[in-house]
Amino acid sequence: MAHLSDGTLRRKVDDADSLTVSENRHYSACADCQSRYTTLADDARAVAGALAVPDLKVDVASAFSRVRSAPAAQPRFGIRLPIVRPASRPVMGVLAASFVVLALVVTAVAAGGLFFQPKTVQVVPVSVADLQSLNGLGDFGTLTWTTQPAPQLVTSAAEAASVSGLQVPVVTLPSTVSHKVTYAAMPAAVGVFTFDAAKAAATAAKAGKTLPAMPAGMDGSKLTVTVGPAVVEIFGNLNIGAGNGTGTTTAATPDPSQLALPQLVVGESSAPVVTSSGVTTQQLENYLLSLPGVSANLAAAIRAVNDPSTTLPIPIPIEYATSSSVTVQGVGGVAVGDNTGLGAGVIWIKDSTVYGVAGTLKQDVILDIANGLK
Amino acid sequence: MGANFEMASKAGTRNAVTSNEDSFEALFSAEYGRVAGIANRVLADPHEAEDVAQEVFIDFNRLHSASAPYAAAWLYRAAAHKALNRVRGRRRREKRELSQAMDEGARTMDPQHMLEVSEDRRHVRQALARLAPKPATVLVLRASGLSYAEVAQALGVGIGQIGTLLRRAEAALRKEVIRGTSL
Repeated sequence: MAHLSDGTLRRKVDDADSLTVSENRHYSACADCQSRYTTLADDARAVAGALAVPDLKVDVASAFSRVRSAPAAQPRFGIRLPIVRPASRPVMGVLAASFVVLALVVTAVAAGGLFFQPKTVQVVPVSVADLQSLNGLGDFGTLTWTTQPAPQLVTSAAEAASVSGLQVPVVTLPSTVSHKVTYAAMPAAVGVFTFDAAKAAATAAKAGKTLPAMPAGMDGSKLTVTVGPAVVEIFGNLNIGAGNGTGTTTAATPDPSQLALPQLVVGESSAPVVTSSGVTTQQLENYLLSLPGVSANLAAAIRAVNDPSTTLPIPIPIEYATSSSVTVQGVGGVAVGDNTGLGAGVIWIKDSTVYGVAGTLKQDVILDIANGLK
Repeated sequence: MGANFEMASKAGTRNAVTSNEDSFEALFSAEYGRVAGIANRVLADPHEAEDVAQEVFIDFNRLHSASAPYAAAWLYRAAAHKALNRVRGRRRREKRELSQAMDEGARTMDPQHMLEVSEDRRHVRQALARLAPKPATVLVLRASGLSYAEVAQALGVGIGQIGTLLRRAEAALRKEVIRGTSL
């Protein structure tokens, strides 16, 4: 029998009965293994002694109250975004406003019990002024989650697949992109948005505005939105700002306030599904597009969406990003590149699944990665 | 969708929030002592260890559901990493302070004495923080009383690897302590 491995001998230090019968027989007869055992048991004892500390006495109740009273970043719309730090307010602002544009379009097509499930993507050009002047979705009613969105960082592709139920895309990376990957996953979430005329009027009055009256039947009408499940693969060392690197998967590591920008992000999500009740498509569309925050240009852009019941609109701030139609994986998609040349992304829908690839890379590299996804 | 649905959805949301808060409190009660113990093992400073433990729970609560099956493993590993990062930061600060003190004190104090004072009993922790994250973490978690299975889960490796990882980490730490002492 071969000599016992260091690992086997080390385990014996902690558990004298850990050897199998044959290992024990070998050990009893092998001076070499016994000598190695003595050395490594000596090391183990020395290290245990060096790391010994007096017992720690903790007051769990007062510690819990300190943790509870610590200011926590409050997520918008109840969504927790693990990789967007609270300090990124402009980013959150654009995300929130984009969500509103999306909601406007979705509501405009989903009323009357219609079914919205996008099969393709199309750009809705918006200006930053458009985005800034839009009211938050919360101003027009109440969003409650029957199943809370719970995005979470996970330790492996297998865990991401288990959390989301989706197959994690296999990415072929160019040599310039770090192979260090962090996975995030989210099970499906279901939210119900209820229009509230009184709340909308009160919010507008506080801002010194007057809203058009909600059409009959809209007050109290509901949109049921299903988002996800989703998986995201984030490539790059996110912990540059947090001192020493900490392994290939970073589930326990990231300090959200210290995360660096990823090099590449690959995401996959089931296409959102929206159903609505209580008001007709035309009423909703007219109302939403006549709101004070919606410019004529934005309303026209939204009305120009080809087939709104099957199109996922992608709001693009025209001052900061350019977009173009591309073919990805054999279907139509939208490629976005910002005018600084520092980043690019592509989004497409295939088989009722939305895919996105974005990063601090050139657009042709992003497209190659997108086409190479398996 | 009628009023019943609305009431059900509101109640569902409230229940979900309450249940999540309850889960977090239960997780905190069950694991706080151990998480603080892991941080203390690295820092040898009870107050700083509790600071680290509380930060770890705040981070966890911000990012994850308390009922996640990997919650305890995440907390243990995060406590070790965060505490090791503190030691690294402390070491950089001490180096800077020592260098300043030596500049200022060169005329009045013996530099050799300054150096000896700086190499106090904490050099073991500093040696630990100089190790790669995985061996440092395996040592800290095991020394904190975690079983082989718990250490394996926290590190995301097979239980069969723990003996080998421990052995290598212990040899590396002894070497690093000797190296640090002879600097």
